[in-house]
Amino acid sequence: MKMISRVIVLAALVALGVWLWTIFFPSPEKIIRKQLTKLAQDVSFSQNENDLVKVAGAQNVADFFTENVEVNITVQGRGQETLTGRDQIRTVALESRQEATSLDVKFPDVNVTVAPDRNSAVADVTVDATVSGERDAIIQELDITFQKIDGHWLISKVETVQGVSKPN
Amino acid sequence: MAPQTESDPPKPRPGWLQVIAVGRNPRVTLIRIAVLVVVCFVLFHYVLLPAQVDGISMYPTYKNRSINLINQLAYVWHEPSRGDVVAVRAWAGKHMMLMKRIIGLPGETVAFDNGRVLINGQPLDEPYETQPSSWTLPPVKLGPTEYFVVGDNRTMSPRDHTFGTVDRSRIVGKMLL
Repeated sequence: MKMISRVIVLAALVALGVWLWTIFFPSPEKIIRKQLTKLAQDVSFSQNENDLVKVAGAQNVADFFTENVEVNITVQGRGQETLTGRDQIRTVALESRQEATSLDVKFPDVNVTVAPDRNSAVADVTVDATVSGERDAIIQELDITFQKIDGHWLISKVETVQGVSKPN
Repeated sequence: MAPQTESDPPKPRPGWLQVIAVGRNPRVTLIRIAVLVVVCFVLFHYVLLPAQVDGISMYPTYKNRSINLINQLAYVWHEPSRGDVVAVRAWAGKHMMLMKRIIGLPGETVAFDNGRVLINGQPLDEPYETQPSSWTLPPVKLGPTEYFVVGDNRTMSPRDHTFGTVDRSRIVGKMLL
C-alpha cells in the first residue's frame, strides 16, 4: 500500500513537472496558436472605438507581421487582394476599422507544422469573419507562414488555400 | 471478503435518493459512467460526427438548421459513389464543413448544360433534382483523385453556390440521415 502511494505521488510530481515545463518553456506550436488567438482578437473590432483606439488597434495588427510580409488572398465575391509590407497591413487595418462598423474574426481550426530547424512554421487555419451589415460570413482557408525573428514568431506570408475549386 | 454469518447485522438497504443518484452500487455506477463516456467520445469523435446544416445549398433534400450525422467510416472499405451526400473538409479542419452531393468521379468530365449535368457528354439522371435550373458551365476534367461535388439547390445562382472539384483526402464521410 505504501509502495502504491509512493508511485502515485511520484507520477503526480512528474505530471506537475511536465506541466510547469510547458508553461515556462512553451513549444513553438503553442506560441503560434497563442499568437493566432491574439491576432483574431486584435483584427476584430466593435463599433464603439474612438480614433485613438482605431490607430492603436491597426498598429497592434501590423506588429504580428514581418517588415516585408506578403499577403495574397482570394476572398469569395471580392476577388484577389495582394498586400506587401507591414505598412500596407497597418493602412488596410486602419481603413477597415474606419469603413466597417464591426468585424468579428475567429480561427475555429488551426493546424501548425513547425519546420525541422524550428525557425519557421506554417499554420493552416480556417478564418471565419463576420462583417457588420453582411448577411454571410466570410470563410476561408489560409496558409500562414511564420518566421522566428529575434525570438519572436512573425507572419511572413499569407496565402489562400482552395479546398473546393470552382469551375471558371 | 468474509462470508456473512447469522451473527452479522444485515446490510442496510440504500435509500431511494441514493438509488436514483448513484444506483444501488456506486462503484458499478461509476464504472458504467466511465464506459459510457469513453464509448460516446469514440463514437462521436471518430465514427459519427454530429453536424448542423447551415444554409440552403442542399435544399430541399436537407433543410437549413437540420441536424445530421457524418459517418466517417463510410469510405474505409470502398470509395465514394456518385449520388452520395458527403461532408467535405473545404477548410482547415472539421469545425466547419460543406455538405454536398457527388456527381463526378475521378477521371470523368463534368459539365452543366442549361441545368442538365453531363458526365463525359452523357446526361446524368438526377431524381433528387425537383426544381428547374438553368446552370450552364464549361466541362471540367477531373484528376485521378478528384471528385465533383455540388448542392441540390440549383435554383441558386452558381455565383452564390460553393461547388466544384475536391480532392479525395477532403471527403470526411457520408451523411447518415
